[in-house]
Amino acid sequence: MSFMPGQPLTAVVQRIQIEKLRHGENLILGFSIGGGIDQDPGQNPFSDDKTDKGIYVTRITPRGPADVAGLRMGDKIMQVNGWDMTMVTHDRARKRLTKKNEDVVRLLVTRRSLEEAVKQSMGSYPRQ
Amino acid sequence: MPAEVKQEQSPSNATSLAMMQEPQEVVEETVTIEEDPGTPSSHVSVVTSDDGTTRRTETKVTKMVKTVTTRTVRQVPLGPDGLPLPEGSSPLGSYTDSIDRRYMKNGGDRFITPHATSTLTRSYNNSYNDSYGETPESQYVRHYGLHDGYADLTDNYGSLSRGVNLRPPRYPYLPNSYRPENSYTLPVRKDDYGHVAQPQVPMGSSTVDVNRSQPERFQAEPYGLEDDRRSLGPEEEEPYELEPDYSTANRRTLQGANRGRTHREPLRDMPRVRGYPEEAIEAELIDERHPYIHGIYSAPLAQPERGSMASLDRTGGRRSPSIDSIRKDPRWRDPDLPEVIAMLGHPIDPVKSNAAAYLQHLCYENDKIKKDVRQLKGIPVLVGLLDHPKSEVHRKACGALRNISYGKDNDNKVAIKICDGIPALVRLLRKTNDMEVRELITGTLWNLSSYEPLKMVIINHGLQTLTNEVVIPHSGWEHEPNEDSKPRDAEWTTVFKNTSGCLRNVSSDGAEARRRLRECEGLVDALLHALQSAVGKKDMDNKSVENCVCIMRNLSYHVHKEVPGAERFQDPSALQAPGSAGPQRKKKDDAGCFGGKKAKEDWFNQGRKNGENDKNYDTLDLPKRSEPSKGFELLYQPEVVRLYLSLLTESQNYNTLEAAAGALQNLSAGQWTWSNYIRATVRKEKGLPILVELLRSDSDKVVRAVSIALRNLSIDRRNKDLIGSYAMRDLVSNLPSGQQRPAKNLEEDTVVAILNTIHEIVTDSSENARSLAQAQAIEKLVAINKTSQSARETKAASHVLQTVWSYKELRNALTKDGWNKSHFQATMTTTPKATKNGKPGYDDTTLPLMEKSQDGYSTIDQREKDCKYKAVDGSVDQTEREPLKNDTNRKHYIRSNRPAVSLVDACDVKPQPVDSWV
Repeated sequence: MSFMPGQPLTAVVQRIQIEKLRHGENLILGFSIGGGIDQDPGQNPFSDDKTDKGIYVTRITPRGPADVAGLRMGDKIMQVNGWDMTMVTHDRARKRLTKKNEDVVRLLVTRRSLEEAVKQSMGSYPRQ
Repeated sequence: MPAEVKQEQSPSNATSLAMMQEPQEVVEETVTIEEDPGTPSSHVSVVTSDDGTTRRTETKVTKMVKTVTTRTVRQVPLGPDGLPLPEGSSPLGSYTDSIDRRYMKNGGDRFITPHATSTLTRSYNNSYNDSYGETPESQYVRHYGLHDGYADLTDNYGSLSRGVNLRPPRYPYLPNSYRPENSYTLPVRKDDYGHVAQPQVPMGSSTVDVNRSQPERFQAEPYGLEDDRRSLGPEEEEPYELEPDYSTANRRTLQGANRGRTHREPLRDMPRVRGYPEEAIEAELIDERHPYIHGIYSAPLAQPERGSMASLDRTGGRRSPSIDSIRKDPRWRDPDLPEVIAMLGHPIDPVKSNAAAYLQHLCYENDKIKKDVRQLKGIPVLVGLLDHPKSEVHRKACGALRNISYGKDNDNKVAIKICDGIPALVRLLRKTNDMEVRELITGTLWNLSSYEPLKMVIINHGLQTLTNEVVIPHSGWEHEPNEDSKPRDAEWTTVFKNTSGCLRNVSSDGAEARRRLRECEGLVDALLHALQSAVGKKDMDNKSVENCVCIMRNLSYHVHKEVPGAERFQDPSALQAPGSAGPQRKKKDDAGCFGGKKAKEDWFNQGRKNGENDKNYDTLDLPKRSEPSKGFELLYQPEVVRLYLSLLTESQNYNTLEAAAGALQNLSAGQWTWSNYIRATVRKEKGLPILVELLRSDSDKVVRAVSIALRNLSIDRRNKDLIGSYAMRDLVSNLPSGQQRPAKNLEEDTVVAILNTIHEIVTDSSENARSLAQAQAIEKLVAINKTSQSARETKAASHVLQTVWSYKELRNALTKDGWNKSHFQATMTTTPKATKNGKPGYDDTTLPLMEKSQDGYSTIDQREKDCKYKAVDGSVDQTEREPLKNDTNRKHYIRSNRPAVSLVDACDVKPQPVDSWV
């Protein structure tokens, strides 16, 4: 998904709900994020457009909560529990995801394969 | 564990050690299974904001179902199905419990001794019940099933007790079905059996009066137990002993009777099976058997019943007189070895398989029998049976071969090879889907792979098959991953463990073996994937991981010389000026959010895209690649650094730690572009503090590997500065002070490695030499130089001292501390000339350091050989040598205290985490 200022934004998004796993004191989502407006977007291996400062999923713990919920490496996180994630610092994103008092996070993510799937089957129900 | 096996079998031994612990530790295992609900888990909402119109399709929200299954392994309540237990046997809380109690109950009766194993038998019953339950009225079928069932033993383990209930119903059948004595009597050999002083029991039906220990035959359960263990693999020989419940009971029981009895027990099983080919009718069988009865083996037919009776007794805790008399029928004897081997060629398949099973049993922990089997030409017959279409037959043959191949008698291994056993095993591996058979095959290959001359044979015949059939599927790696398919994890199955162990052994067979493994399609990819998944799951202490890391380490050895096209990456500047290559190699350490640290599956999915990463390492001439790296290229991609560092951080297994450090050591050796890159990456990934911390490890070989890795890493100038500033104290603390060794008592090789590392660090850096002096090292070095018993230590220490003294700017301070020139001079007359310029061993620094220790410092052949193995193949051979230590060493390594000063390149410190786990 690329964003062009002034152009309508088209995004194919997927909702993913992840239930955190309690691991001792910590609540674990089982993935790692990279990116943020304070990071060098050129180093993001997942973005099409190397100026994208969004938050991306960089790693997934196999069979972890995120994996089970269907999150994939390379997904771009658009929202966390309704909070916008496209214009946040890395640390802000991390904090949004790791709130101790929330057992569940709902993500809005986008990924290339989704867009392609939709493009291919425009009009019909997008299936994965 | 049999001491004699250690050496050769180290891989297996170590494994078994690991396994042994399981029974003890896993009192209760809690398995958490997370299942997807049956419904599709992906839910797509399309939000198209297109000219203001929003279309939104939403499907349901993914829900995760978590199932927590708690399997209690030890708890074996009897009669879970509610059937009354025979003779009021009370529900047993645990194996131990049951064993003890039963044992007590029966007192000294040796016939009943094997209680310990009774639980196992029960599981047999259990499985047989499952498969053959439909014909409960047939004794034979039952027995057969019983026998057969042990394939499933492990599965039934947890619910052993159920089977108990199955026995009692058999009771009534016994007297009726027990007939065959008359027709199948083995010729009695008094010489063989007379010595087994057993009370003679006069019996009405017995025509032969022999003094021999009948009871053995009735130890149906011990047989089952042993057999089971055996079928699990030679590696499991030790676990045997580790399971106190079983073994103690066994031993106890054996005291009174013939010690060798256990080995014979299986025999009674043979008849059992033999008599009962699935489709066979008793009468036919008898007819068929007749011809054989006279000559070779005849006896066993009756015994099956006996065996079952015995087990009945035991489970029931009470014997009926009739059973007693049957059991003591002296006319049955065990066949001797030539007879058993002859039976391998018997036309009836069950006879073959039983003979093979018996052989397996006989060979268990008995080198003499293994040798005899070889000399009686039993091995080619067994190998021939591998191609037998009946799974029962090739399985048992395979089991026998595995036990025979285990041990230090390499002639047995050679014998298997000579009759083309290796291709036969590989063929069977391709053919069979039976997990147990696959375990046996790979176990056998693992055993064979411990013998040097067979390594290449295994590579030639089995490498690709092992990779395709086992490594790749079990690693979870896929050739062409579908983006939406979940990445699969590695499965740490026994088959995978055996196979990785085998490959680990063969990977140490020199350059050609390494080449073959590197070029084996999918192998490196799959191993890396498996390790990544181990790291992801934080499951890094098991044997499979250890094997994988060791293979990776071995394959990383000499990559800079051996991989195709390596010359293109040679670093000419470094070759000219190895020591001073630092400045122009300074990195622009802009490790950012994603810099060079790509997500793990990246290697497999995307590889590196050129333009984007060069940015990070712009001063390094990164070889341009248009395709994602795959195969052996993955070995030296900088991405592996993170993997090894994760292992070094997380693993508790010394062998894994050593291998991971050894891999970094190998990768950072040599002068080619990739090693430059690796050295820089280790720094950027904050690997130096991790390595330095491991200098405090209790394990000698970990310290050694880490030390040499640090030495190689310090070829990079910036690394050298950092290591000099922050690692010196830990290095020095590993040195012995004078004649008293530090608490750790490191081996000579390790001390020499540390001295060489120190030498490398102080070379060309007076700053580092100063840190060395400040770390109170001079005193230790002088002491080593003067008093060490080891010429190599003395020499290495003397090199360091001379280098230190060569810095004129330091002499003042050194003199103030009371040192003078004489302290820094070599005590030996033959001081290497090179030391004059302060760069002793200068030439060597450009070489991978393990070569140096090999070439530079070893004078004795023996030593040289050792060094060679330690450098690359080290852990393979070492583990082979000291399997026991591996796991006893496994104590918790405490990493609580990180180095006080963080050993991180200042430039590497980023305000933001590179990426954050959430």
